[in-house]
Amino acid sequence: MLEIEIAGQLLPGTERKLQLRLDRAESVRQVADRLGLDPEEIGLIVVNGIQSELDDLVPPDGRVCFYPPMTGG
Amino acid sequence: MQMLRVDMGSLGVRQEATPAAYEHLGGRGLIARLLLEEVPPDCDPLGPHNKLIVAPGLLGGTGVSTAGRLSIGGKSPLTGGTKESNAGGTAGDALGRLDLKAIVVEGQPSAPGWHVLLVGPGSAELVAAEHVIGLGTTAACEALWQRYGQESTVIAIGPAGELRLIGAAIVCTGEGEQRSNIAARGGLGAVMGSKGLKAIVIRPTNAAVPLAEAELFRTSARRFAQELLNDPKVGPKGGTHTYGTSAITAAVNEMGSLPTRSFSSGSFESAGELRGEKLRETILARSGRIGTRCMPGCVIACRNVYVDENGNTIVGTLQFETIALLGSNLGLSDLDQVAQLNQLCNDLGLDTIETGAALGVAIEAGLAKFGDFESLAALLRQVAEGTEHGRLIGSGAATTGRALGVERVPSALGQAMPGYDPRSLKGNGLTYITSPQGADHTAGNAFGARKEVNPLGIEGQARLSLKLQIMAAMLDSTGLCLFARPPVVADPQLMVDMLNGRFGWGWTTEDLDRANRDVLRAELEFNRRAGLPPARERMPAYMRTEPLPPHGATFDLPDSEIEAVFEAL
Repeated sequence: MLEIEIAGQLLPGTERKLQLRLDRAESVRQVADRLGLDPEEIGLIVVNGIQSELDDLVPPDGRVCFYPPMTGG
Repeated sequence: MQMLRVDMGSLGVRQEATPAAYEHLGGRGLIARLLLEEVPPDCDPLGPHNKLIVAPGLLGGTGVSTAGRLSIGGKSPLTGGTKESNAGGTAGDALGRLDLKAIVVEGQPSAPGWHVLLVGPGSAELVAAEHVIGLGTTAACEALWQRYGQESTVIAIGPAGELRLIGAAIVCTGEGEQRSNIAARGGLGAVMGSKGLKAIVIRPTNAAVPLAEAELFRTSARRFAQELLNDPKVGPKGGTHTYGTSAITAAVNEMGSLPTRSFSSGSFESAGELRGEKLRETILARSGRIGTRCMPGCVIACRNVYVDENGNTIVGTLQFETIALLGSNLGLSDLDQVAQLNQLCNDLGLDTIETGAALGVAIEAGLAKFGDFESLAALLRQVAEGTEHGRLIGSGAATTGRALGVERVPSALGQAMPGYDPRSLKGNGLTYITSPQGADHTAGNAFGARKEVNPLGIEGQARLSLKLQIMAAMLDSTGLCLFARPPVVADPQLMVDMLNGRFGWGWTTEDLDRANRDVLRAELEFNRRAGLPPARERMPAYMRTEPLPPHGATFDLPDSEIEAVFEAL
């Protein structure tokens, strides 16, 4: 089961932690599409602890976190 | 513009015209140049030959959004090198409106006694400070406001600075009763204490800053503010405003870079209790405030007022770096407890980063326990009591480690590392060891540099760090907040237009770039003359060999990448 975490102001009203069953690895972009996330609103993606991009693959038993645009001060 | 020279030996204050050579310098850039030209690089940072320099940025007083930050500098007692630390509040704008480019505090008192420097329109004098000596910064600012008026701006040290503890910070007041804008890094509070100067009180003026090309200035300043408002990161819908700087806590943890239990892990199992969403929910549920500003005219407004269950203020703002160093780094997951330690540090006049790291080191030595708030608070309270352990904590992580025999000390160039473990965010690690400022994320923060460089990789880190360090030099010299960088990074001409509108210099973007690089060149030269060790020797040995969970990362950048950072400067 894929663990998903959606942070900050992305998808307000949605549970922050979700699970999704995938038959096979999918791209981050495909997972975002399934959730209804606008790729333009995603600032940072972390897959299994690694900073990733929309075209990177997410394993079915992995973990993906979506963050809004953010900046360190 | 004018400069104030304050001689603590003779207690004389004189005003002088700024030398023409300093015309294009402000904030950090001016500090770097003054240190290079006036301070012996091998001097004792707490001795008579060091200088404490207080300087607004070039755009201070103009009303440009976020441009009112105040730079404070001197030779750092922590790093032994050049230092600039900046804070929000009202001081930067107030000094700009007073036509003051800098206050340079020199010498040392020839007799025991403390002073307050009063600065106002056309006046400056030193007065006795006995009524505020020994007070924490909260009470000291209150007493000074009562005496000189609530509209005044106060810059003050706390007991840590009075004791010349080298982890001491300098507190600057802001709008209303705000007392938690802090020039925290580098131990400059100890330098101020070594001058016998408890506080600077600035009486404001409504005088407008002259504009050489008013229409150009107004057009570009308006565009700058609008672009900040439109920015997805820092605009009103962005995370920085909505959640404050702790918007990034969860992401830093997820990437395995959140300092945890004295930098022994990059992932804290209770990070969810410290994340920005939790902070916001807690504050709003208790009728605290979120999205407040630290400077008049700031459109980002990333501060908060953290309150207890009864709605009483615990601390003026609770920020990411503090949450990391006083929270996860100490094994604490209760925001109330982190806020209380934060306020203790603020009142003592201590840098929360340095102090959090020192407390972590003290835990390793057995003086307290991870996750045990009471033992940590008790240790911190000893700072004001001047006990042996209190003096150690107030003197920062490196001193604490040396005295207690702890080798795992998360510092570079004697200054504690901020809230990003350099093993899993190597770009920040490279900045920590190469920046002339020592381990300081604001000198060039690689977090979130998406699509540019793999945070865990080696390739491209040197180029990224240099780019970020040059940008930071620009922001710190103009008085802009680090968060306000997106519009001027995307279009440097916008910054050039604001400067040309203010001063009529006729600069190009090439002139701006050269000026920014010159700041770093001056700082590097001061440090070279001070005999600081080469960058490749500054990373703590254990961070090169001890794998950091969860990625098992070490700081493995080769010397060639470290030495390459400034090749293109």
